[in-house]
Amino acid sequence: MDLTRSNLLDAYRIMRLIRVFEERLHLEFATGEIPGFVHLYAGEEAIATGICLLLDERDKITSTHRGHGHCLAKGCDVFGMMAEIYGRKNGLCAGKGGSMHIADLSKGMLGANGIVGGGPPLACGAALAAKRLGKGGVAVSFVGDGGANQGTFLESLNLASIWSLPCVFVVENNGYAEATSSKYAGACHDFADRANGFGMPGVTVDGHDFFAVYETANEAIQRARRGGGPSLVECKVNRYYGHYEGDTQSYRGPNEVEKIRETRDCIHHFATRVTSAALLKQSELDDIDREVAALVEDSVNQAKSAPRPDLTDLLTDVYISY
Amino acid sequence: MGQCEDSAKISSTRENVVGIIANPASGRDIRRLVAQGGVFTIAEKCSIIARLITALGVTGVTTILMIPDRGGIAERVRRAVATRSSEDQGPKVVFLGMQVEDGPADTVLGAAQMAAAGVRAIVVLGGDGTQRLVAGACGDVPIVPLSTGTNNVFPESREATIAGLAAGLVATGKVPAAEVTVRNKVLRLEIDGAHDDLAVVDISVSKSRWVGSKALWRPEDLDQIFVTFAESDAIGLSSVAGLIRPVSRRAPHGLRVDLASPERAKVTLQCPIAPGLILPVGIEHVEEIHGGEIQTPRLAQGTIALDGERELEYSSRRHVTVRLDGQGPYTIDIDKVMERAAHERLLAID
Repeated sequence: MDLTRSNLLDAYRIMRLIRVFEERLHLEFATGEIPGFVHLYAGEEAIATGICLLLDERDKITSTHRGHGHCLAKGCDVFGMMAEIYGRKNGLCAGKGGSMHIADLSKGMLGANGIVGGGPPLACGAALAAKRLGKGGVAVSFVGDGGANQGTFLESLNLASIWSLPCVFVVENNGYAEATSSKYAGACHDFADRANGFGMPGVTVDGHDFFAVYETANEAIQRARRGGGPSLVECKVNRYYGHYEGDTQSYRGPNEVEKIRETRDCIHHFATRVTSAALLKQSELDDIDREVAALVEDSVNQAKSAPRPDLTDLLTDVYISY
Repeated sequence: MGQCEDSAKISSTRENVVGIIANPASGRDIRRLVAQGGVFTIAEKCSIIARLITALGVTGVTTILMIPDRGGIAERVRRAVATRSSEDQGPKVVFLGMQVEDGPADTVLGAAQMAAAGVRAIVVLGGDGTQRLVAGACGDVPIVPLSTGTNNVFPESREATIAGLAAGLVATGKVPAAEVTVRNKVLRLEIDGAHDDLAVVDISVSKSRWVGSKALWRPEDLDQIFVTFAESDAIGLSSVAGLIRPVSRRAPHGLRVDLASPERAKVTLQCPIAPGLILPVGIEHVEEIHGGEIQTPRLAQGTIALDGERELEYSSRRHVTVRLDGQGPYTIDIDKVMERAAHERLLAID
């Protein structure tokens, strides 16, 4: 696993950016200023970061309801994202998509998705395009454990397999599809088991561990780039907040989240390991913390002061005319 | 209807109690991507357990202890037991009353609780990694290691029905344990002078800085391999030792193999590192290791893999040692038990 100092700094910066971005949204959403729903990615940062660090401009991703982390890790602009979530005219989708439809095609981010399991078929299309272009591009489909129970997901596994598409399906199994335990709703313990039925490799990995995700994703992505076909990577993980902001989470055990934060936090573990190995200094991580805090603060302030779309924008950017 | 209870109700008649430990997570690591490792689904593991329960019941085992889990094994076993036909007088299945962590700690705690409860044998379903966890916690209770992992050297690929009969014949005293069990070697890992962990087959030192996805499959990352035994038909890292100088499970010594890049190596062998993955491995030096000798890795920093899985990241600030120990777990020799069963008509109906 070749990770340079620069890679490690990037990984920490992205994970910290996602965390600060989401924790700020947790506070801001409570003020009532943010329209629609937001679904926070805090706790799952190692997955988006570990995977998107391996992608480049050839590659596309599709996301879920919980898409902010994927956007940030794929390089979407922080200011444009925050403005979009606030529904402002200068947002990535001109303020009309919001959190659940945020997208930036120029970055290969094909969109968060309001449809559970809506992303995998799109990823198959992107992967087919990449295969036809022949430049080694891949598509990564992030999907939750709820999405992995949808027919669209299973159909996409099948399609990707029969066409040998350069597609990596990443199941972010955070234990709950909205409020329903994945142990109850899934007729399997590991979603990775489903890959076998579609003739592709399936691997289960600790989604709290950046290094485990990175190493596994690297093999899956390189395999896809070489023409080896699709694969499925299931990341077992936990989310720190509810399914959506405002979710009372009555379905979770007492102190469940607190215990996970104390023992499994991906950023804490990453920082401890890279500083213990003397690869990064704590002062370097502290500098990143300050830089990220300022960036998110600026993005919130700019978003709040930006104009909203007006009536003349109502029907623009919504439908495409061919 | 069958019975399925929790451990608070274990009866005091312990001579007929056997433990079953099945790791729900085994067989799903990165070797399905980088090699051609197969998949053992929960359904298949449950099928194995069902065959074990049937066989154990035939031998007279009345109670089976199992670990609760969130992986679906316990749930399926409970359902199967609850829906037994009225004619099926199979053993009672009792789940230990323990907090489930959904990780390796469950296996360790479960094995320790089974040993404390006085089980006469534990059947362990998993790869080398799972067997290692049980070996460190089961004390003198003999185990029957069955393969459901990826690189399996320590556990046998056996039909569970036969393994269940053998375990049951020992647990019920029909075959004296002392005559059909063997003590295995282990490698003990010590960090800064304190016992940290053990391996039942091999301890490998890797140049990789990170534990990462745990499995080791790149020979270029490997620096040294210590083995308790090395069979020439083994799969996994111990195959390197097995193909250069085989060592039997019963030999008093183990082996240390120092590796080098194929360009610098004295010998380079094609070794089956993982299922479907046969790669050149350069060997610089091979040496027997004996009980009590303290071995120190050549690398000042890297990762330590126990039975093929990276478990520890270490730096020059840590003092890492490896020691062969003949006082490892007892295992039941299935062939010997079944030979006795045939010779003494132990499965004859009265």
